[in-house]
Formats: sequence, C-alpha cells, structure tokens
Amino acid sequence: MPDAVQVIDWFAIAPALILAISAAVVLLADAFFGPPRSRRQALIPATLTVIGILAASVPAIMLWGETRATFCIAEPLGGPTACSFAVDQFTLVFWGIVLFGTAVVALLGTVEVAGGRTPHGEWNFLLLCSATGALTIAASRDLITLVVALEVVSLPAFAMVGMRRGDARAAEASLKFFLVSVISTAVMLMGVSLVYGATGSVFFSQIDSALAVGVGPRQVAVAGTLLTIVGLAFKVAAVPFHMWVPDTYVGAPVAVAAYLSVVSKAAGFVGLMLVLTFALQGFADVWAPLVAVLAALTMTVGNVLALWQQHAVRLLAWSSVAQAGYILVPFGAAATASSALGPSLGYLVIYAFVNLGAFAVATVVGTRYPGQRLSDYRGLIREEPWAGWALAFALVALAGLPPGIIGLLAKVLVFSSAAGPVTWLAVVMAVNVAIGMVYYVRWLMELFRPATVDGGSTYDVPNGVGIAIGMTFTAGIAFSIFPGLLLDPVLAVLR
Amino acid sequence: MTTSALALNGLVAVPVGFVLLAGLFARRTSDNLALGIAVLGSVVTFGWSIWLTLLAGSSLGDTDFDEAWIASMDVRWHLGVDGISIPLILMTTLIAACCLLSLIKHAPQCGGRVSLAMLLLVIEAGVLGSFLALDMVLFFVFFEVALIPMWFVINSWGDEHDPVGRRRAATRFLIFTVLGSALMLVGFMLVRSLTGTFDIAEIAASYTPSGSTAVAASLLIGLGLAVKTPLWPLHIWLPDAHAKAPTVGSVLLAAVLLKLGAYGFVRFWMPVTSVDWDGAPVVAALAVIGIIYAALACLAQTDLKRLIAYSSVGHMGFVILAVATFTVGGVQAAVYASVAHGLITGLLFFVAGAIKDRYGTTDLARIRELYGRVPRLGGVFAFAAIASLGLPGLAGFWGEMLAIRAAVDQSAALPGGTFAVLAVIAAFGVILTSAYFLAVMRGMLQGAPALGVPVQGAPVQSPSAQATTDVHAMEWVAWSPLIALTVVFGVAPGLLLAPVSDAARAFFGGF
Repeated sequence: MPDAVQVIDWFAIAPALILAISAAVVLLADAFFGPPRSRRQALIPATLTVIGILAASVPAIMLWGETRATFCIAEPLGGPTACSFAVDQFTLVFWGIVLFGTAVVALLGTVEVAGGRTPHGEWNFLLLCSATGALTIAASRDLITLVVALEVVSLPAFAMVGMRRGDARAAEASLKFFLVSVISTAVMLMGVSLVYGATGSVFFSQIDSALAVGVGPRQVAVAGTLLTIVGLAFKVAAVPFHMWVPDTYVGAPVAVAAYLSVVSKAAGFVGLMLVLTFALQGFADVWAPLVAVLAALTMTVGNVLALWQQHAVRLLAWSSVAQAGYILVPFGAAATASSALGPSLGYLVIYAFVNLGAFAVATVVGTRYPGQRLSDYRGLIREEPWAGWALAFALVALAGLPPGIIGLLAKVLVFSSAAGPVTWLAVVMAVNVAIGMVYYVRWLMELFRPATVDGGSTYDVPNGVGIAIGMTFTAGIAFSIFPGLLLDPVLAVLR
Repeated sequence: MTTSALALNGLVAVPVGFVLLAGLFARRTSDNLALGIAVLGSVVTFGWSIWLTLLAGSSLGDTDFDEAWIASMDVRWHLGVDGISIPLILMTTLIAACCLLSLIKHAPQCGGRVSLAMLLLVIEAGVLGSFLALDMVLFFVFFEVALIPMWFVINSWGDEHDPVGRRRAATRFLIFTVLGSALMLVGFMLVRSLTGTFDIAEIAASYTPSGSTAVAASLLIGLGLAVKTPLWPLHIWLPDAHAKAPTVGSVLLAAVLLKLGAYGFVRFWMPVTSVDWDGAPVVAALAVIGIIYAALACLAQTDLKRLIAYSSVGHMGFVILAVATFTVGGVQAAVYASVAHGLITGLLFFVAGAIKDRYGTTDLARIRELYGRVPRLGGVFAFAAIASLGLPGLAGFWGEMLAIRAAVDQSAALPGGTFAVLAVIAAFGVILTSAYFLAVMRGMLQGAPALGVPVQGAPVQSPSAQATTDVHAMEWVAWSPLIALTVVFGVAPGLLLAPVSDAARAFFGGF
C-alpha cells in the first residue's frame, strides 16, 4: 500500500525554494525600509537578492554529481515511476546559468535606482520570482510543470520590462512582450494537449515510450510536436517568431534586456531541449529538419539585420537572435537527440556569461548616454579601461575570435555537431560567422578610437555594476585560458 | 617538463610574455623602454627558435608535446616540429625581429608605437602556434589569433592619407579570412567525423580519404586555406590589405601570414585529399591562372605597394602549384618558395616603406631616379626586385624552378599532360614577372618612363632642400639578414631541401 502522503525530496527542491523565500524577504524588507534614498541604500535589496542566490547555490553545488527525482507517481500497473521534478547534471548546469545570470542582473539593476523611477524592492522581488521559475523549468520532467514554470519565468518579466514609471516606450515594450508571450503560450498549450491526447501522458518518460511503441494517431502527435516547438520558438526568439525582441530590449531597462537575453531566453531553450530530447526523441526525423531551417533563418536574419544597427542595445538584441540560431544548430543536426544536448548546452553556457558581460558594460555607458548610440562608446578603452576591455573581450568572444577563445570553442562545438549530418547548415553558419564579424568589429573600433573628451573618466560606475562586470570578465578570461574547467563538466552531462 | 616541451611551448609563450611585460612597462615607465622590451622579445624569440631547431629531429615524433586540453571535446594541446615547419618558423621569428627592429628608428605618425610593437608580437605568437600545432582545432585557434591584431594594425596604423580606404581594407581582410577559416573548421569537423581524431600526424599516417564526405572535407579545408594563401580568384582582399597596411604590417602579412595558408595546404590539406580526385589539377590550374593574372595585374599597377602585393599572388601561385603535384619534390618546392617569398617580399615591402617615408608616396609615376637621389636604397630595391623575378643564384629562382620541375614530374596518379601544360604556362609567368619588375626598375630607379604607366605629375622632390637621407643604420640592421639569406639560399639550396624531403617522407608515409 503506497503512502497517501507524497514523500518530497526537500533537498532537491531547496534551491528553487530558497529563491522563492528570498523573494518574499526582499519584498518585506522593502516594505520596512521604504524606497532607497541613496545609491548606498539601493544596494540593500540587491545585496539581499545576491545573498539569496548564494544561499540557493549552496544546495545546488552540493547536489553536483547526484541524480534525484521527486514528485513521482507510481504507475498503477506496476510500471516505472514517472517524476515531475528531477535534478541531474543537465539541471545543475542550467541552474548555474540561472543563478549566475540572475546575480549579475540584480547587480546591474542598482543602476536603475539612480533615476529614481524604478521601485527597487519590487524589481528585485520580480527578478527572484522569475528566477525561481527558471530553476523549476530545468528540473521539470512533465509538460504541465514545464508550461507553468515557463509562465513563472515570463509573468514577472512583463512587469520588469514596463516598470519604469512614466516611460511610454517601456510600457509599449512590455505590452508587446506580453502579447507575444501569451500567444506563444496558447500555441504551446495547444501542442501540449495534442501530444497528451496522442500519447495519454504528460510525463516526458512516458511520452517517449508511448511514441516508441506507437500508441495513438501519429498525425496528432506530429501536429502537437510542431505546435509545441513553435510555441517555444517564440520564447527563444527564433526567426520568424522574433519580431518582439528588438523593441522589447530597447524599451526595457538595460538590466532587464540582459535578463531577457540570457536567463529568460535560456529558460526557453531549456524547455526546448527537454521537450525534444526527453519527450519527443522518437520524432527526431520530424522536428530535426524543421529546427535546422529555423536555425539557418534565425542566424541569417539576426546577423543581417544587426549589420545596420546604430543603437547598441538594438544591436545586441539582433546579435542575440543570431546567437539563438547557433544554439539551435545541434538540434537541427540531431542524428540522435541526446547528441545535440551537449553542444547546445555548451554554447548556451558560454553565450550566457559573454552576453551578460556586453550588457553589463552597456549599462555603464547608458548612465551617461541613454541614447546608446554606437558612437557613444568612442574612447571607452582610454576613459574606463576595465569596462572598455571587458566589452572588447565580450565582443570578440561573441564574434568567436581569440582572445575570446571560449567563444571560439563554442563555435567549434556547434560546428562539430553539424558537420556531417547537416553540412549545409554548418556552411550557412560559417558564412554567418563572417557576417557577424562586421558589426562586432564596427563596435570594437569605436572602443579604441581616441576619446571625444580629454582627461579623466566622466563615468561614475556604481559598485554593483563594477562587480557584475568583474564577474563576467573574470569568467571569460579564466575559461579562455582553461576551457576544460567549463566544458568538461558541461559536456559530461550525458555521459 | 622535458626540454623539447619547454622549447615548443616556450616559442609561443615567450612573445606573449614579452607583450605582457611591455604592456606593464608602457604603463609604468617610458615608451622607449617598453619598445625596447618588445624588440628584445622578438630577438629572444628568434634565439628560441634557433634553439628549437637544434633540438628538433627530422620527423614529428622526435620533438613533440601532447597533453589533453579539452578532454570532453577530444582536443589536445599537441605541438611538434619537423623539417617542413622548421624553415617557416625560423623565417617567421627572423622577419618579426626585423619588423620590430625597424620600429626603433621609425615612429608611426599617429603614435602608438608600443601598441603596434605589442600587436606584432601577438601576431608572431599566433603564427608560431599555427606552425607548431598538430591538432586541427588547436591549429584553427592559433590561426585566428593573428586576425584581430592584424585588423588593428591595418585599421589604426595604415595609410594615413586614406582612413576610409584602410578601414575598408582591414575589414575586408578580416571578413574574408574569417569566412575562410570557418569553412576550414567545418572541413576539419568532417575529417574528424571520418577519422575520429583531430590529430593530423595520426591522420596523415593512417587515413585514406574516400567517399563524398571526404571530398567535401577536402574541398572546405582547401577553400579556407585558399582564401588565406591566397589562390586566385579568392585573392581580392589581398592587394588592398597590403597596400593600406603600414610597412611592418605589409611585411608580416606578405612574408608570414600568407605562409599560414601555404603551410596549411601541406600539413592539413594534402593528408585529407586523395590524388585520385580531380581536385589537384583544378587547384594547380587555379594557381597557374593566378600566376599569369598577377603578372598581368602587376603590369597595370601604378602603386608600388599594390604591385608588390600582386606579385605576392603570383609567387604564392607557384607554391600552390607545387603542393598540387603531391610529390616530395612538390613539398620541397612549396616550402622553399614560401621561405624565399618571405625573405624577398619582406625586403621589397621594407624598401617600399622606406621610399614612402622619404617621398610620402609610392606612386610609381612620381618616384624617379632613385639611383641618383638615394643610391643605396635604389640598390637594395634593385637587388630585391631581381631576386623576386627569379635570377639564378638568388633564393627566388629556386622556388620557381623547383615548382615548375615538380609540376613536370608530378605524382603518377595525376594527369601528366595537364600538368606539363600548366608547367609551361607557369614558366611563361616567370617571364612576365621579369617584364614588370624590369619596367619598374627602369622607371623608378633610372628615370625612364615606366612601361604602361602614364606619366602624370612632376617627380616628387625630396622634402628638404638637401638630398634625402639614404639607408640609415637601423634599416641596414633590419634588412641585412634578409639580403644575406636571399644570397645564401640562392647559392646553397641544399640547406633547406634535404631536411624538407626527409620530413615529407616521414609525415606522409612515403609517396
């Protein structure tokens, strides 16, 4: 007789739980202390947030090397148990991205307070809520948990985008983001329900075995698969579902744009990876060509449209669209879905901290030049060497050239998965890498031009942002010298 | 760490270390001291490469260093040298040292001399790493190291009269090379999917390419290297980049960076390409078209640096023609012609830069009577031009002669008739080369109207009323090794040929 009360593995869900509790603490603290009046006070909610993230990372680190599952139901007829929440290497690598990314974004958020138009306590609360969803999605092993977690990531993000008071553009950006997201969720739910209808289960493991046996009408399952992929493609902003990205990124505060381009996008990717590899592996022949075409379109459109951008954040927005295309490539090449997981995840990890680095410096420049024109970055190397070099490094790493060796190896990883099964896609990607070079280098050139103003720096880099830049820059340099430190554990995920 | 491991890794680490040191000193102390450190770095690197040469054996296994780098991707930090790479390494360290020495007396107008010197050292480190790397991914990584620094060199220190042009040249160089190397990487990945390893020594020893994937791999790798070398019609980035780059940039580009392509063809393309495919004759034909095309283009040039740049395309055509014969003789010719081209074209670009410093232009129509104004400079130019057109007794002759001989005596599996015709056409290219260099010499050195160049504008006067200074001491220091070696290799080609043939036999496991 099974227990009526489910046994919950609290340790496995501890990181997500700690983040949720920290969110509440941050909100309460804000209610007690009132809105911050100085920059130093503004650090309080950010500090609490970072402490919460550090606390959450303790159990996450302790879980490394373990495989745990919870929220399981036993098959009535004595089959294998199916679980909703699982912690394994894959989950933990992704948790690393989320925790690192959220910490960086929380620190970047301190810049917003200077304007006094963003309620800071709420901002950090929403950030932590969204991050809780991001942690959950990586551990979700059934479609319902996945959809709910994805919405937990998105809902606070809408508010974060539009939170700046009296900013019409932020409100527009928020609305656009909201509408697109709702539509994509609707489409995805449609797909999920079709898959459920065809296979009779929402658990990935059971869907996988049902597809292998061939239960239910195949066409329904195929339609469900395609709709689910389309819904997730909106979330990761794959072309042609990318239209919302540039306006939303530009309208949102830079820190939020950083969050959307890294953590929120990564959540979309993890959803895609989970669905494709754990649930729909049997349909690889159906979705792989579709994803390959999506990948080729995404990188090409992203890169080509980035060529003409003069606005730094808009350029980063298009570049992140293009980078999403590279991340999709291994799935387009999937001979077996699990072989795609390593390269995709590897690229995602590297993209995450490199892109955060670029956004971090954009935050600094944004304090003086809210217009974010590329020419505003002129002379940054002389004026603010640390920020300047950090951005230069991030740009060459995004372009995939030394000294950003880690960015180069990310491209190598993706090429290695595509060459052979879909060589044409690898060639398209090679052309795209060359196109991307043009705009990264254009920006890089501005950094090294002589500054417009002589003398010392006129930037006032907030401490929090300084730490954020330092974190991303150090990670980039360290992993460029010892790439094995990062790539060996990440690629070991499926071995 | 064993001695050979130290020698191999040190060759890459020493220039990088001196870059960091120079950067440190540039912040703390004077620029002159920092520049001195950078120059010292290049000289030490040259010394280091000689030490490595003394240690090295004839085949790759004798001196190598093989450690896991990224275990999960199966990428190894595998460095090694043999008779094929040693000559190119020595040439690289020598030319880099000459470039840095020439910076001592010659400050670029826009300043930033120390930064320029540091970038040159970074480029040197990248090139040396590429010559040492025996793992395909590692080769790719080092191959890319030189790109961004070179882009800066052209973009920031290039032709001061034409900021838009130098920027376009720099960006075009970057995009072409990145596209080429990305395609090459795809090719490497295909080879990996066939062989299961990135180790080129292992591949050369045991891999027999066959099947359509192998063809695609060879095609992609060849395409990537053809951009770098460059092979006609992928050379279009080259004339601009060479013409707009500062003197040291042009020297390094022509003498050293192009050799990455040539070396890549020998080390990474030949082992993954089968003689039985139709690829080799096509590559050889493109190379010969490049030879003729470059010679004709040279006849039409009005700018000295562009002319030298186009002549490079022709010389590299000989290198590729030699490679495409798939023989030991071909490898010998490719390495020999590469080294000869590096020495001679390096010298030509140095002299062109010196002329530009003195007269402010490299317009062929406006530079006259150098024999009368600056006889020594004119003499060095004449020497380099004659060496470049292939006068017997100087290094350039053997490069071209061996390439043509290899084409006549090509691998048995290749169509003999085609190669014989190509050899004849290539020989005709040698004659055209003589035509344009002699025309330039007549015009520039002696003052007769140059062939095919309309006379426009008065000859440039020297900037001061006095005679312009002739070659000064520092220039002699930088140039004399190149002059001396051009003569030495012209008189005693055997110095280079024997080790190359041993290494080629060992590497390819016999032809």
